[in-house]
Amino acid sequence: MNTRTWLLPVAVFATIGLSAMSSAQTAVGELLRLLRPEVLRQLNNDVLRLVNFLPEVDGPNKAIIARLFAHGGLGHAKIQKDGSHRFSLRVPNGQFIFRPAIIVMGKAGKLDIDVKNEDEFSHHQILLPNNGGRMFMQFAPGETKKTTIELDGPGLYWFGCPVGNHAGRGMLGLILVLGETPDEAKLDRPRQKR
Amino acid sequence: MRTRLFVPLIAALMPLTGLVFAQHQHGQGDGKRFQDLSNAKGIAPDVVSKLTYERLVRAASEPQNWLTYYGNYNGQRYSSLDQINAGNVKNLKPAWTFQYGNVGLVASPALYSFEAAPIVVDGVMFVSGWEGYLWALDAKTGDLLWQYQHAIPLDTPLCCGNVNRGVAVANGKVFVATVNGYLVALDATNGKVVWKKVWCDVRAGESATLAPLVVKNLVIVGSSGAEFGVRGHIDAFDIDTGNRVWRRYNVPKPGEPGIETWGGGDAWARGGGTAWITGSYDPELDLVYWGTGNPGPDFDGDTRNGSNLYTSSVVAFDPDDGKLRWHYQWTPHDVWDYDGVNENILFEQDGRKLLGHFDKNGYLFILDRTNGSFVRATKFARADWGEIDETTGKVTVLKPPTQTGVMANPGPAGAKEWPHGCYSPKTGFLYTPVIEATANFKWKRQQFKESLPYWGGEASVVGEHWGEVKAFDPRTGKQAWAIREKSPMVASLLATAGDLIFTGRPNGEAVAYDARSGQELWSYQTGSGIHSNPVTYSVDGKQYVAIPSGWGGWLEGFAPGLFGGSRGNALFVFALPD
Repeated sequence: MNTRTWLLPVAVFATIGLSAMSSAQTAVGELLRLLRPEVLRQLNNDVLRLVNFLPEVDGPNKAIIARLFAHGGLGHAKIQKDGSHRFSLRVPNGQFIFRPAIIVMGKAGKLDIDVKNEDEFSHHQILLPNNGGRMFMQFAPGETKKTTIELDGPGLYWFGCPVGNHAGRGMLGLILVLGETPDEAKLDRPRQKR
Repeated sequence: MRTRLFVPLIAALMPLTGLVFAQHQHGQGDGKRFQDLSNAKGIAPDVVSKLTYERLVRAASEPQNWLTYYGNYNGQRYSSLDQINAGNVKNLKPAWTFQYGNVGLVASPALYSFEAAPIVVDGVMFVSGWEGYLWALDAKTGDLLWQYQHAIPLDTPLCCGNVNRGVAVANGKVFVATVNGYLVALDATNGKVVWKKVWCDVRAGESATLAPLVVKNLVIVGSSGAEFGVRGHIDAFDIDTGNRVWRRYNVPKPGEPGIETWGGGDAWARGGGTAWITGSYDPELDLVYWGTGNPGPDFDGDTRNGSNLYTSSVVAFDPDDGKLRWHYQWTPHDVWDYDGVNENILFEQDGRKLLGHFDKNGYLFILDRTNGSFVRATKFARADWGEIDETTGKVTVLKPPTQTGVMANPGPAGAKEWPHGCYSPKTGFLYTPVIEATANFKWKRQQFKESLPYWGGEASVVGEHWGEVKAFDPRTGKQAWAIREKSPMVASLLATAGDLIFTGRPNGEAVAYDARSGQELWSYQTGSGIHSNPVTYSVDGKQYVAIPSGWGGWLEGFAPGLFGGSRGNALFVFALPD
């Protein structure tokens, strides 16, 4: 059993909150969200079976077609000395996903990002959200490229591969910018319940 | 086992990777902006650097241009161009179209809508779209000159759709308010950012959808998000530096005039009163007139006993400091989501400086705009939520929401949604699009949680709904003509000296009526419902009519029967054949 394929839907659904799961399952999802992908990959398959609540719809025919929406887990962008972020993405060979697929930025601003296409045969592209206009890069097999984007925060943005239907088959990702709205934009009122 | 070995290896290499990145200079690197892989020229003629405040004041003297959101500070949406007229409009044909199909995921995926009023300056058009798009186009050919897109978060709190109603231009810059609450000033020649300021709190449920208004050295904007229990405000920024000069809240806090209308407690803190439609301005009186939105929560009035100033009102303020000079409340203690944001049309009559306002609550108000005194009210659509005395303005409430529901007219989108009416100095008539819809209004106590909708009940549009276009004589308040339309009319009207009224229908037809009789003289099927601001301009002596087409917005409120209407995102520009 492929551990990654097992786990990824869990991480995705726990993170973007799309599934109608029970509260217990939500708790498990929350727990998994706190774990780094590297750690998750090392968990025992039996443990994963216990916590994975979507086994029956994940990979029904062991191929890309008709598997649950594929995804590459979550990673946190690192903060650089100048306060901007950086992050590395891979496109693993033959999987049609970005790994990781969910990038978390601690705050708004610039993100230096490099992307490596590890696919042996497929060209891939990436469209990244960016103030001013989406940023585009194209990759031959084996190529690595880098660029910088700028995003406001807080907010949730998408990125994806616009080649063929790579996006529909798994090559969609999210960038989550954490943090509060800057003080200058806050309302003059007592703190409200959330 | 391989994984276990791999992880420490990556961990060991990470510091090295960090070193590489520490040397990295921010820039496009290998990336290209998406629009740079298009036919966009990347540069526009420098037509905005010479566009001064003085020219904006005299906008009527250059009818070849459409310089502000309403075409003119007076909010009339009137052009003195008359090349296209009642006699020849039947020959009107598309001159060019501009399209920008949506790419990828988008906030509010079913309701993004093309609502803008294109701005035209000496042959260059600046038009904004949903999802942070802004295009500079050749106004004669439709060629793309440059494009800007502000990245819009998928999770932006939007009550009613991912929309933007247009830009403002002056002193070499284009100003756009993004739905995630930033005000961005761009170089009008190339779309590059000059400055950017955040002024709305998306965490609190705020957003921004309006076209900014430039007055003197300030660019003025108003917030959206009254459905999220925010505290609405209007802000002014220096057009050159981007520094905020003032902010005025439309709901007072303790110690400020008007707080006595909020029933004590802290309801004011969630009191709504946003300002999501551009104001108008009288340079002689030096007064800005701006509509304010509904109080929060929308339907549960018991949480905010009193008239709830300054919600569902017009506020007249000094542009230099935002200080209130006078106000008039269209719907005191609004419990139907009637808002008061609709345009305020400034016109003169018998030497009087008047203000005309078609309110969502179904009444046309005429005020003396020097001091806000009431002149006349006229019911312009079915309105049985209450009764407003047409000679005194006294309001009698008849149908407040109940816990089990009460049927009342108009529905929550109003007898007229935000799309604007117009005034023709030639005919002397005020014109308005009309929504005829009934809704079942209910209130229910709701615990407030910041960033979540704060309706305090619900309103469902039920039964048949249709539209009308109507003309009124403001001297008498009498209806001059009315045309019944199959669907609610939700596009702005444009009046021209060619004795024409242009607008669009939800079925996609751009349409022109005779301004004196209402007779339909021309129509053209654009393929998607029209919920936008048609404008007119001329280049090299040839008159054009520009109409954005792209169905969406708060369809649940104004046309639930047309939720499945074909979506689109095209700008149609019409002209007479050579």
